[in-house]
Amino acid sequence: MIGKTPVWVLPVVALVALIWIVPLIGLVMISIRPLAETTLGWWNLSEVSFTLEAWRTVWDKFPLAYATWVSTKIAVISTLIPMIMAPAAAYAFHFLSFPMRRVLLLIIVNAFVLPNQVVVIPLFLLWRDLGMIDNIWSVIIPFAGLSFAWSVFLVKNYLEDFPTDLIEAAQIDACGPIARFFYIVLPNMLTPIAAVAILQFMWTWNGLLLPVVFLREELPLPALLARVQGVYDNNFDQVAVAAIITTIVPLAIFVIFQRYFTAGAQTKTGSKE
Amino acid sequence: MVEATTSTLDGPHGPSLGARVAARQLSQRRAAYILLAPLLIFFGVSVLYPVFETIRLSFFEIKGLAPPKPVGLGNYVKLWNDENFLRALRVTFYWSFSATFFSVAIGWALAMACALKPKETMIFRVLIFAAYGVSEAVVGFIWLGIYRPDYGLLNGILGGLGLEHLQQAWLGNPATALTAVIVAYVWTQVGLPLMTCFASIQSIPRSYFEAAYIDGAKPISMMRHIVMPLSLPGVRVAIFINLLQSLKAFDLIYMLTGGGPVRTTETVGFFMFRESMLNFKLGYGAASTVVLLVAVLIVSTPLIAQRTRAVK
Repeated sequence: MIGKTPVWVLPVVALVALIWIVPLIGLVMISIRPLAETTLGWWNLSEVSFTLEAWRTVWDKFPLAYATWVSTKIAVISTLIPMIMAPAAAYAFHFLSFPMRRVLLLIIVNAFVLPNQVVVIPLFLLWRDLGMIDNIWSVIIPFAGLSFAWSVFLVKNYLEDFPTDLIEAAQIDACGPIARFFYIVLPNMLTPIAAVAILQFMWTWNGLLLPVVFLREELPLPALLARVQGVYDNNFDQVAVAAIITTIVPLAIFVIFQRYFTAGAQTKTGSKE
Repeated sequence: MVEATTSTLDGPHGPSLGARVAARQLSQRRAAYILLAPLLIFFGVSVLYPVFETIRLSFFEIKGLAPPKPVGLGNYVKLWNDENFLRALRVTFYWSFSATFFSVAIGWALAMACALKPKETMIFRVLIFAAYGVSEAVVGFIWLGIYRPDYGLLNGILGGLGLEHLQQAWLGNPATALTAVIVAYVWTQVGLPLMTCFASIQSIPRSYFEAAYIDGAKPISMMRHIVMPLSLPGVRVAIFINLLQSLKAFDLIYMLTGGGPVRTTETVGFFMFRESMLNFKLGYGAASTVVLLVAVLIVSTPLIAQRTRAVK
């Protein structure tokens, strides 16, 4: 902005940000100080010592490594599916003409407002009948299916600005519709695909409802944390470590790529003002 | 691909224009279905089928493995008379509107403050936004530590300020539990309005501020007359996303209170979980999600209209 900015801005914003990260600081403090010191409150600094004891013991007590592996599998597969399918669908909706085009697009895009609780009960019955409870695909399939609403929309919005000359040139060179997608459109769509990937990875890594209902032993990190927290009582330091491990991957990805997220958030609802 | 091969088969003069157009349409149609098929299969299995099946199941009484018994609108009549469900519905709306209001109000105010010094406040924006990336399961654990009655941070601060009489079991007290969960939820959600409003403000043309400056406008009046009205698109986006997200709320409640104490923090999402997954009343649970779906559709009609218009 132009002109002199008020002096209070920086201190006020800094103070809010500080208050905002206090809970996260607390989490780290609990994990690196001995339990005896932090039971009276992690902010109690009368006696401060540093230990990695919780970080060492947590691996023996909780199946954290396995849960990390499960989380990684679920999040990576659930992210790859819309990364591949959403651009193909968006291209078909945008550049090809076929019957039912508009109706299908409206159904898919408007599924954005669907609360995911609505799909839980029928899928639970379906997975139970198919013997797929505790199979990670019981979570991956709805994670992917529920993501199409916004991922197709996001990629299609991006295609609005795609130069049609390129498509027409390829068409004149007798390049078929599918080849046009793979050789012309897909290589030029990396920005929206990255946005889809980051958001979807974060949501599927953090998701709790579907894993809690559909999985029993194959638990991803948040579901394991929910279970552990309900069971143990006097091991806050170890739960804190588990919480940090649960959150570190999506948080890192999120902070590094947050610019893409803003692009996604803006186009996601179709507001292009 | 198809065009090239057909033209060689059509004799020396090539196919008629009509035939060529028809061939092109056919190949487009086939290509479209090939590209769409995988997505439609996933979408059908995990979205369309469950939605219709939920509606169908909501007309049945299902107990364990016994065959479902059709009860017509019985489940809905029961919901209408179920105090717990009506409370869950009220809690859902109270939760959604207050969480959205406070997240957007705080995020918007911060975005306007940050826009005054965009470069210097960048690190603070990222820090506040980071809470949005934290899993709700972890958020639950963190805020349990803050609300613990014995050595929780909140009671600790109150004690330090000499306000011992205000100390209490924040999550155990029916009077404060819902507010406490909403505060934790707002903590995670503020980042989104902050980002969308900030992006909106950044896209305001610089010339507006220059013109206002030449006319002698002070920063506060620039705020009032330029920034506030022109950042409304970002505010609108944030309201819709936050509202829709909070109507679906489940994770944080599951972690913090499990719906308690005495079901005061139970949303419709959690009600469904309790009735269908813990009490095995699947038809009844399904009916409750149908009511939620209808409520969400009513709230999101403006959004649907907006998105539908954007679909060309």
